[in-house]
Amino acid sequence: MSRRTIVGDEDAPEINLSSMIDCIFILLIFFIVTTVFVEEQGLAVNKPDSAATSVSEKEENLVLEIDQQNKVLVDGAEVSLADVPARVKATMSEPDIPVVIRAHEKSTHGMFVSVWDAAKKGGAQTLSFSTVN
Amino acid sequence: MARRSLSEESEISAEINLSPMIDCIFILLIFFIVTTVFTEEPGIDVVKPDATMDMNLEKNSIIIAISADNHVVYGGKELGIAGVGARVRQLLNKNELPVIIQADARAEHGVFSDVWSEVKNAGAKKISISTRNE
Repeated sequence: MSRRTIVGDEDAPEINLSSMIDCIFILLIFFIVTTVFVEEQGLAVNKPDSAATSVSEKEENLVLEIDQQNKVLVDGAEVSLADVPARVKATMSEPDIPVVIRAHEKSTHGMFVSVWDAAKKGGAQTLSFSTVN
Repeated sequence: MARRSLSEESEISAEINLSPMIDCIFILLIFFIVTTVFTEEPGIDVVKPDATMDMNLEKNSIIIAISADNHVVYGGKELGIAGVGARVRQLLNKNELPVIIQADARAEHGVFSDVWSEVKNAGAKKISISTRNE
């Protein structure tokens, strides 16, 4: 085996990169395979406090009730889902009135989200919910 | 420019310059490392309720699903309402994450409400309902 001296460097020294490429390829494939592009959309439900909600039952709040048959009631009268935003907007003439959605345990989650969405569309600032059975 | 004939280049081994390829692969690798989030997906089919006022939620979060027949699922395993609190507390201990409740539109509101209270009591700072935008 002939060993070149440092002086005789006409040809540039080269590092063998192929093993590094192998490693990087394996890492790359791992990350390509494990990547999932989760695109979640939703509504933030942040009730102020779950324990303290029943304490501060102010008189001037708007209660949207959902009964067992998924009907929306305001003050005991049935209201269609399309009318909820207008109803909320009318109450919001003086702002900061809390809107409470009082849903029956057996009503569907879809209805609850629709009402929540409608109330939000009507400009409700403080939204909360309670469950009755 | 001197052009070598085919007969005399047999001593010199042909080498491909790999450095641009390595650059490319590195960029791809960095992209995938940065974008990867390891979220446990529930692994069940959920018909999400429609909403128009929704917004994009954090990618890295705890997703708890409620199926149409009121089963509570996390990471492919059924938890039951009672198991939610302990599981979420355990996950929040590791790092502070927002929680997304992915409930089916046909699920009962009572189950959603119970799961919500469990998650809240476990100390989650931000809870959201997953929806579908039209």
